[in-house]
This record gives sequence, structure tokens and C-alpha cells, in this order.
Amino acid sequence: MPPSQATPLVSIIVIVYNDAARLPRAVSSALRQSLRGVEVLIVDDCSTDDSFAVAQRLAAEHPGQVRALRLAENSGGCGGPRNHGIAEAEGEFVMFLDSDDELDDHACRNLYEAGRRTGAELVCGLSVRRFLGNRHGKTDAWYPWIYSRTRTLDSIAEMPDLLVWDTLSTNKAYRRSFLTRAKLQFPLGILYEDLLFSSQAYLAAERITLIPNRVYFWDQWPSSKDKSGASLSNRRHEIRNFTDRLEIHRRIDAMLADRGMAELKYCKDVKFLKHDLVLHLRDLPFLPEDFRQEFAEHARAYLAGLDPEAVAESPSIQRICAYLLTKGDWANLLPAIDTLLNRDKLSSTLVEKDGRIFWCDGHLDDPEGRRVLEVTDQGYHARAIGQLFLRNQLTRYASGPQGVELAGRIVNPLGRIPAGAKLAAKLEFTSRRKTLQSKFAFPVREVRHDGDGIVWSATVDLAKALRPLGVIDGVWDVRCVLTADGERTSTRLTVGDLDLSASPAAPVRPRLTRFTGDRLEPHRSARGHLAFELTAEGNAARKGTDLIERALRGEAGPIANTAVDRARAGVRGALKLRRQLNNGDTKLKVYHQLLNRLPVVKGQVVFESQQGKQYSDNPRAVYEELVRRGAPMKAVWSYSDSPKGFPSGATLVKRWSWDYLRALAQAEFWVDNQGFPYRLRKRPETTYIQTWHGSALKKMGFDLASLKRQTPVQQAEYLAGLDRFDHFVVRSEHDVRTLAPAYRVSEERLLRVGYPRNDMLRREGTAKDHQLAGELGIDLTKPVVLYAPTFRSDAAGKVKSFELPFDVEDFVERFGDRMTLLVRCHYLNKVVLPPSVSGKVIDVSDVQEVTPLYLMADALITDYSSLMFDYALLDRPMLFFAYDWDEYADDVRGTYFDLLREAPGPVLREIGDLYEALADLDLVGKEYADARRQFVAEYGEYDQGDAAKRIADLMFGAPGAQTEQEAGR
Amino acid sequence: MSRDIFIVSNSVDELGGVSSWSHRMAELLSARGHGVQLIGIAPAVLHKDFGDDLPYGMTTLYSERPASAWTPRYPWQRLDGKARRQEAQRAAGVRSAAARMNQLFRAARPGAVVIVTQVWAMEWVAQADLSGLQVIGMTHESYETCKATSRYGRVKRYYADVDRLVALTDEDADAWIRDGMNSTCGIPNPLPFSLPETVPSATKTVISIGRLSQEKGYDLLLEAWATVVDRRPGWQLKVYGLGEEEAALRAQCTALGLDGSVEFAGRTDDVPGALAGASIFAMSSRGEGFPISLMEAMACGVPCVAFDCAPGVREIIRDGEDGLLAPTGNTTALAKQLGRLMDDQELRDTMAKKAREAIVRYSPEQVTARWEELFALLDS
Repeated sequence: MPPSQATPLVSIIVIVYNDAARLPRAVSSALRQSLRGVEVLIVDDCSTDDSFAVAQRLAAEHPGQVRALRLAENSGGCGGPRNHGIAEAEGEFVMFLDSDDELDDHACRNLYEAGRRTGAELVCGLSVRRFLGNRHGKTDAWYPWIYSRTRTLDSIAEMPDLLVWDTLSTNKAYRRSFLTRAKLQFPLGILYEDLLFSSQAYLAAERITLIPNRVYFWDQWPSSKDKSGASLSNRRHEIRNFTDRLEIHRRIDAMLADRGMAELKYCKDVKFLKHDLVLHLRDLPFLPEDFRQEFAEHARAYLAGLDPEAVAESPSIQRICAYLLTKGDWANLLPAIDTLLNRDKLSSTLVEKDGRIFWCDGHLDDPEGRRVLEVTDQGYHARAIGQLFLRNQLTRYASGPQGVELAGRIVNPLGRIPAGAKLAAKLEFTSRRKTLQSKFAFPVREVRHDGDGIVWSATVDLAKALRPLGVIDGVWDVRCVLTADGERTSTRLTVGDLDLSASPAAPVRPRLTRFTGDRLEPHRSARGHLAFELTAEGNAARKGTDLIERALRGEAGPIANTAVDRARAGVRGALKLRRQLNNGDTKLKVYHQLLNRLPVVKGQVVFESQQGKQYSDNPRAVYEELVRRGAPMKAVWSYSDSPKGFPSGATLVKRWSWDYLRALAQAEFWVDNQGFPYRLRKRPETTYIQTWHGSALKKMGFDLASLKRQTPVQQAEYLAGLDRFDHFVVRSEHDVRTLAPAYRVSEERLLRVGYPRNDMLRREGTAKDHQLAGELGIDLTKPVVLYAPTFRSDAAGKVKSFELPFDVEDFVERFGDRMTLLVRCHYLNKVVLPPSVSGKVIDVSDVQEVTPLYLMADALITDYSSLMFDYALLDRPMLFFAYDWDEYADDVRGTYFDLLREAPGPVLREIGDLYEALADLDLVGKEYADARRQFVAEYGEYDQGDAAKRIADLMFGAPGAQTEQEAGR
Repeated sequence: MSRDIFIVSNSVDELGGVSSWSHRMAELLSARGHGVQLIGIAPAVLHKDFGDDLPYGMTTLYSERPASAWTPRYPWQRLDGKARRQEAQRAAGVRSAAARMNQLFRAARPGAVVIVTQVWAMEWVAQADLSGLQVIGMTHESYETCKATSRYGRVKRYYADVDRLVALTDEDADAWIRDGMNSTCGIPNPLPFSLPETVPSATKTVISIGRLSQEKGYDLLLEAWATVVDRRPGWQLKVYGLGEEEAALRAQCTALGLDGSVEFAGRTDDVPGALAGASIFAMSSRGEGFPISLMEAMACGVPCVAFDCAPGVREIIRDGEDGLLAPTGNTTALAKQLGRLMDDQELRDTMAKKAREAIVRYSPEQVTARWEELFALLDS
């Protein structure tokens, strides 16, 4: 504070305890403030080092601006010195700073300005954690979503998240008159004083302003074991830690109850389950029995007081853990904690009862247990084994003569891996940071069923077979890949309470000399999995790694620093080069400048459907027609994820791979239904047949606001992609009126031949696919109804997750004996069906080709999906379950026509109406016969059953003509 | 407290928004007793005459536009002697221009402020001796718009150390803060004229004022108008402005059969006059900063319907309160909002009234006060 200024604008209270070395750094960040009217109060908690002497020196150097204060005896916490600082402060606002942290240079200016502008009693800004020892300068903003924009609250009730999540006291400026008025003090003799103080402040403040500015740097020092926050979290095995936390929560609950703030209590309870309880539970598996009992007792009492609604709202696994904890069911709780820490993991074997899936076998006679433990909606039972992340508990870790001996047990949920399955497994070691070789695999000697799990054992000779580079690949993760009947699933090794330190670390030889480390030491990762760290044991290695660490932080001598910088630059350069060689821009350049100059291969056709996601639709129908007639074609199919299900007769290339680009560059024809990558230009010798994927109800292309709003340059780029189409397949004049202008397709490029995929629907007496029906378990003796809803998106265009708009069990009760319901959701959505409806309601979303399903279905229920245009060709009953039409039609996209007026079947808004219509499908069929014919005439007039043939003729000439051509050669 | 204030821009007499802003602020701050000096780096490309006998000073540092900086693309280009000489000359030019600025700065009283309105000019200001001065950088466009241009990198580099960065709105300021520019605030542009006392009664006219360019989106307005006017005979759309899209727009208008209800009225200098008698103001821009035209319309009691294309737009119009917004590019929604207002005389009247009340926050007095508060903050 310049002496001229009467009262300081902000008082910064810097507390210190035995931290003389870092104190000047904190104080200087306070003195560096761009706001000049700042006073600094250093409060020493009766340190035993010379902290107070340093404080006095700083005060002497900055008279009138820095004061040094000292408590008579040590208070043992942060509360005492801060309270003393508050009593001594003179500023308009008060802030707190710890001796090992720093303030941003503009912290005071921004907080003060916001407080003065809004009149707030409490102003909060963003806190940023800096990991000071980190090689890459890692930082981490503290709940940035709370601080995404400036806002002022008249009550904390407007933003419960603030109270619930930001429990720090340091990233804030408090109006001093407010602290006095509300008599705010830190509690003494209890941990988590910040949590209580910040809650009190939020509740007492008449106005709170949040600013997005970073104000506080919460510094994590390399060996900051003494940092109160960090050490607290590490001392969680002390029961006081947990009881203090519960005590603070009880006090806050009491304040909330006093004020009748039920909503806040609810949010806080949700957070307690989601966050606080998890913090304590994660270490439970490693703690002794008596602690567990005591812990459970305290937890039980507190959990009983939680808002039941908050419990119900919490994610399933949190509820399960809380429930099992109150029941003291350790056997089931300990695996459940694994899922708590690894959300995707399935750590229990599950049970099926009455057509529903439960987490575990016990407690199902308790109605609450039944409710909490049900996990049917999670869809574990419906997912393929390869898509499950199974718990794999390490049961043995020891060093033997041949290397490290490992054994474990993998969960086999619901016995999904049958006893007779052919099993194989391997262990994969991968480096967390990529280097030149970052993966090593080892065979698993033995893997077999054992009761309700699968056990394995392996011996891994790390010393011989695993060679890290050194420095960069310091941490190695381990996965166990299990293969059961050809299906692979990857697991992590959960260490549990196995003692890893009992066996010596395995020796290794890094490629960059042993100066960079000589041992692979096992440890348990934050999520409880086995991982290895490259460490130094020998003398040379210890000296070497120490030097490297210092040099990486720029603290070693100049030669070492430079050497490390160079090495780092070299490795980065090599990795960057590899990335660059394979990145999109390089590929584009090579495609345009090199591949496009290769000769066109006569008869080469590149097919793609849904951008490589499927072997399906119009491109497939064209391909099959060409194969059938034996056209002189070199077929190439593009796939995006896996070549599974794609035809063996064609060359298969992965989308965006070098082979893909080369195939496109040399193709005579491109055939797809959505668009080959927009940035790839098409050479004039190539003919692009765009078969498109469906007629439109919703607006498309240039009729979308997102395109209309673009700049001319962006629009021109898009148009260039569209201009590649040489032919655009349409199936009606409706398409000509809607799609053609939306995609700027000129008249001469329109191909009025109908959709090849629909030829089958137009052919008389096409048989139902009995093999497919058998695979899916569909009973064809009963009527089959296909339910195919489309996806919905929110206002921002993001796809919403899908939930069935009716109760399938209710459906089964009414119609289960009479008909089979096939559910096919849009490929952007997913659906989970309970086992109770199996065989009666069947999920057919994964079937790539939809046409055989149409043929099987005796009636269709849809809402707004464009498949209505195709199914209508079959002239079978169609029902439109448009329960959310107003919302759907009214959203940002808009529609080309009014479905309610033109639908060739009843439009049903309520589930009751749908059931009524389903009860008499024949009637619906008869009533709407005329409407269907009209609909087909309007939207499918060119679908005459010969589309594939006509397109094939266009590409390779009519079959007759082709023989002549061949003969002429 | 009376201060010396330097407003530094690319040019002092350019035809465009920033020059208009500089002269308007210079006039307002001079009237408050501050000593204001406008500094232009180079002469204008498109000159506008702001008149003589101004109550503030005006200086231009270069007599012709200086060359842009030389950045060799490949290392071997550094060997190019001619380019190096030219670059040395250019750098010397920058130094001597900065020296001239120094002379002005040194004569200033304590508490003086330098406002840099455009980041290009900051290169020269940064070379000057800024000790004892508070430097304020400005960005006169929305964060998103800036981010799409090469200016973005320069704002982050050259404005890194200014005492305060001023954006057009609080929402833009927040975006810059999240991006790491930690000393940033938002101050809106002032109304270009004083609030008219009375508002003439309205006719069935929708008006729009702006350049006829792609960015202003008149093609989208016509599209929306076609569906709106269909069921509302008697309504007229009057478009003021000239531009390169005029012929295309006239053709589109004819193709949509709108010749009877749309009038292209050409350029106008009398904005309040043009607004007189209009019922609704429409703005269909694809991109904007802090559109003055909306403020003018609201000041004249004409409620606005606009695409929500920038923070500036949603700051000026409070959707549903004193005007209506539609998602950018969504012509159906724009048509719906226009229709809503056209069909409801009462809604038009309420919104007109609220608009006039609300726009006071951009009155010259209020905006000038915001600036003076900022100067005071930088001193405290």
C-alpha cells in the first residue's frame, strides 16, 4: 500500500508454519499485485524454524505494506492463524494465501473490481493447481465449469454446485464488513476447516460474484508430503480423518436445515456419495479389519441421514457401495469398490432372477436391496464379452528363477464364457508414453475355468524380454488379454491387498544406458491396477536418474541441461515425424500430388456405406448385382472399424488408410451413400455414383441453418465436395424437389432409377431370411412387428441418448403371446432389453442390412425415420408412434412436409392408442390401403425393382453389350 | 480527475467502425475535461472526413503506409540481402515512429492513459517508452470472429502485457479470460447519437440497414420474408444499403415473387430518419461484433428481430424482453419471430418501450462513466 492511501483495498493474510524457505516467494506474489492498495499480513503459527525472522525481515523491507504477526503458541491448523489475521486486517476485502502457494498478478485487481461493481460480499475466482516438479509443467484448473463465466448470485441457492464442489477458502475475497457482520471464523482443532468456513461464507453472503479469472495458484511441490491438504488425503487411514469429515458435514447439514435449504442438502448428499465416500472407500480394501468395522459404523450413521432422493439419483454403483457398506457385506463390497474406481469395469459375477439382472446374490429378499442391486439397465447381459471390461484380480506376485510369477482370477459374469470355451491369454506391457517400441507381449502359461471365474498364471522374464528406452517411458501398464472362442477381451490386473514390496524389483536394461534406470518396480496405480516404474537401484543408475530429473527441470548444470534438452527435442522430433507422416494433411498432399497421377485401374470400383460403418444399403445391392452378373470389376470395400461382415470377394481397405487413398485415386468408379471424405478431390476419369441413403423428412444440406450461416469460403468448400457427384440416385420427384436443391445437384446428374436396396422389396414373393431369423431367435410362426424409431438431438444438435418410450415388459404382458417385437434403434443410439422379455422383444439394432428385417416384419412401427419410405413399398400396415411430434418438428431443423397429414397409417400420440392399433393390425392395414398407395406414388415412384440392374448397366454396359465389347477386343 | 488520453489506431480518418468509435469517444472524453489526442500509425486507405476544428488533437506517424514485417518462410531466405536491408529500414521506421510517440507521451501529466484500439498499432506502441502510463488494448470484434483470423495470435502476443484488455461485451471478455488473458473486461460501444425525445407512430414496415454483402445475410432475410409476407398482405420490407450482392439480391427477390413487398432503398446518412415510421428492424447477419444498427433502432423505439450471431447481439437484445432472436441461419425461426411481432401490435409496443428504456445503458454518459471507472481502477 502506498503510504498515501488511507485504508488498503485488500488485506492478504499469508499464513506460515515452518516454511521459511518458501515464504518470501508467496509474499512477493502478494507484493507484485497490479492493484496497488494491498496490505500483507504474515501470520506465523509459532514456527520452530526461522519463518518468523523471515517475516520480520520482509516487514522491515516493506514498511507500511507488510506486517509480521505471530501466534503465542502453535495452533496445529490453518484456522488459528487465519482468524488472527482477520482480526488484525484493515482492508476493505480480505484474502488468504498459504506460504507455499502464489497469487496471480491480477488476482486482487479482478476480485476487487468485481466486488466493487456488484457490491458482492464474497467474490470467488478460479484456482489452478500447478504440479511444480512435473516435467511437462502440468496444471489443472479446479472445477473450471463453475467459473466458466462471470455471474452474480443473490443466494447460494441459485448455484448449489458452488457450495458443493468449491470448498476452498483461498480463491476468494471476503468483504471485511461481511466477516464481521456474519462473525465468520475458522473452526479450531478439527480437520477440513476450509470446508466449513467456505460453506458458512456461501450461506451468509448476501451477494456472491464469480469471475472466470484465475486468482490462486495452488502449488503441488515435488515432495510436498508436508502440505496439509496433500498429507491429509494420504493419511486417510487415520480414522479421525473420516470422523472429522463427517463432523464438518453434520455441521453444514445443521446450517442447511436451519435455513430450510432442502435443495442444497440434496445436492450436497449427491456429492457426498459421488465424491467424499469414494475418497474413503478406495483405500478400504487395504485396511485392517477393525478399521473397516469402525469405518462402517460411522458411515452407517451418516448415510442413514442422507436425502433418499439423492441416494436414488446417484449412479448405480455408488448406491450399491453405500448399501453394501451399511450391510457390512465386505465380500461383495470390496469388488464393488473396484467398479467405483473404474466406472466401466464389471467386477461382479452378477445373477439373473425373474428376468432381471442383479449385482450379487445376497440381499434380494430385502425390497431395498432388490431395488439398489438391480443393474439390468446397465446392459451387461446384452453386451458382447469383448465389450466388457472384466475385473481381473491378481492372486500371486512373486519373483522366481525364471522371472516374475503372476497369477489372477477373471470374473465370468453370468457364466457368459461357457465351460467348454477355448481359452487363451497373454500379458501385454505398454508404456504410458509412446516411444519407438512401447508394447511387449508375454504368453500366459495356463488359463482355465475355476468355479465361477477364470484363473490364469504366467511367468514373465522382464529382465530378458522387456527393454524400455529410458527417461521417457518411465511407467508401464499391464493388461491381460483373454481370448474365449476367438473373442478378445482386455483386462487390467487389480492388485488388491497383495503386497508387492515383498519381492525384489526386476532388473532391466534400458536402451539409453543404465544411467536412466535399472529396475522395474511394481506399484499399484491410482485406480488400483498393477503398473511398473523404471527406478534406480545401483549407484550409477541412481546418480544418472538424479541428474536427469534435475536436468529435466532445468536445475542441473548447463551441460546436462543442454544434453537433456537436445535429447528431448530429438525424441520429440522422431515422434513428430512419425505422426506427421501419417497425419491427414500429409495423406491429402500425397493423395493429390502423387496417388492421383497413378494410372486408373480399369474396372476398379470403391464401395462405401455409411462412411465405412457397414456393408449394407444401396452400395451393397449394386455390388451384389455386379458380382451376380460377373461384371469385369475389381471391387474394393471400405470399412471404418473392423472388416468383420464385409464380403471376402472384394479387397477390403480401412477408411483413411494409405490403401484406401490409393484405391480411390485409381478407381474407375466410386459408389457410396453418404460421401467419401470431403477433402479428397476426384479426378475427372473417375465416375462418382452417389446412391444416397434415404429420402428426407427433415431438412438437409444447404437447407440447414448450419450451412446457411457459413461464409462463402466455407460454403464453396462444401459445394466442391458435392460437385464430385457425377450421378445422384433419386427415387421420386419428392427427392428431386428436396434433396437435389439441398445438395445443389443439377438436373442432368439426377439418376431416376430408384434405390437398389429396395429392389428386393419390389420383387414378388421374396422369401423371408430363415437363417437370420434363426440366429436372432425370431419365431416366424407368429406375427412380427418391427419398431424402428429415429434419433433425436438437442438444441445444439447433439444426439440424445435413447430410451424406449414404453415399458417393454408391459408390452410383453399384453402382446407377448401373440406377436414378436423387433426393436431397431438408429445407429447413433443404443437400447438395453431386460432378459425377462427375451424371445418376445428382440434387439436387432446390430443387424447391418435392414431389408431382410422389413421382409420378416408383418407391420412397422416408426416415428419419423426415413425407413418409412422403403417399408411402404411392401404395402403392409404401418403405425406412426409420434409421441413427441411437436417437439421434434419444431426443433432447429424443420421438416419438408407435414407427416401428420401425409402418413400412410395412424399417427398415435399416446401409448394406449398404439396398443389399441396393435390389437387389430388387419384393420389398420385395410383402412390405410389407399393412403399407402398414394404415399408410394408420391415418395417411391421410381422404385420399380430394377435399380441395381440399371446402375450396373450404366457402369459396365448391359450384360449382352458387354460380351460384344469383350468379343470386339 | 482530468487526464491525458491517447487513442492509438491504424489510422485516424479511416472510413469504418473503429475510426468512428475513436472520434466519438474523443469527443465524449474531451467534453468531460480530459486532454485527448488521436494517434494514427498510417494514413487511411479509404478516407473519411471527420471535420476540422475538433476539440482534440490528431497526429499521423507515417506519411504513407509502412510495409509489413518480413518473416522468412525458410531458413535460407535469411540470406536474402535485399530483404534484410528492407527489413532493417522498416524496423528503423518503426523506431522513429515510436520516438515521435514518445515525445507526445513524455509531455503527458501523471495518470495518463494509452488506448490502443487495434492490435496492428500495438507493435508501434510496444516500442515506445510506456513507463508511468497505463496501457489499454482493445478488440473491436467478437472473440469467435477474432479467433477465426490471424489477428487472434497477435492479440495474444502483443496484448499479453497490457494493463487491461477491453472487449465489446462481458461475454467476450469472459472468453478472453478463459483463454488466459487475465486482465480483461468488457465495455460496450456508445450510442452514436443522443436518444430521440419522441417516436413517430409506426406503419406496416419492416426495415433493415446494412451493407449488401454475403456476411449481412440479406439472402436469408428474403427467404424468411417470402414465407412471412405470404399470409400478411400490406407489409413492406425496406432494405437500406449498397454492396456487391445487390444484383444477386434483386434477382432473388424477383425469383421469390417479392418485388411488390420489398424495396431496396439505397444508402442513407440519416439513420433516425430512415427508422422513423418503421414497426420492426430486422438483422439477418451471419457474423457481427457489436452492431450499432440494433442500438440505433432500439433508441428510436423500433423493436428488433435478429440472428443470434454474436455475444454483442444477445447483449443488446434481451431475447423475448425488448426484441426477438433466432438461431443464426435458421430462416424458419427468423420468419416465425418476424411473424410473431408483425401479428401483435401490443407486443410491438411493449418491446419498443422496453427497448428505449434498456438502450439507455449505452448512452454516451453511461459508457463514458465506464471508461472513467476503468481509468480509476488502473490507478488504485
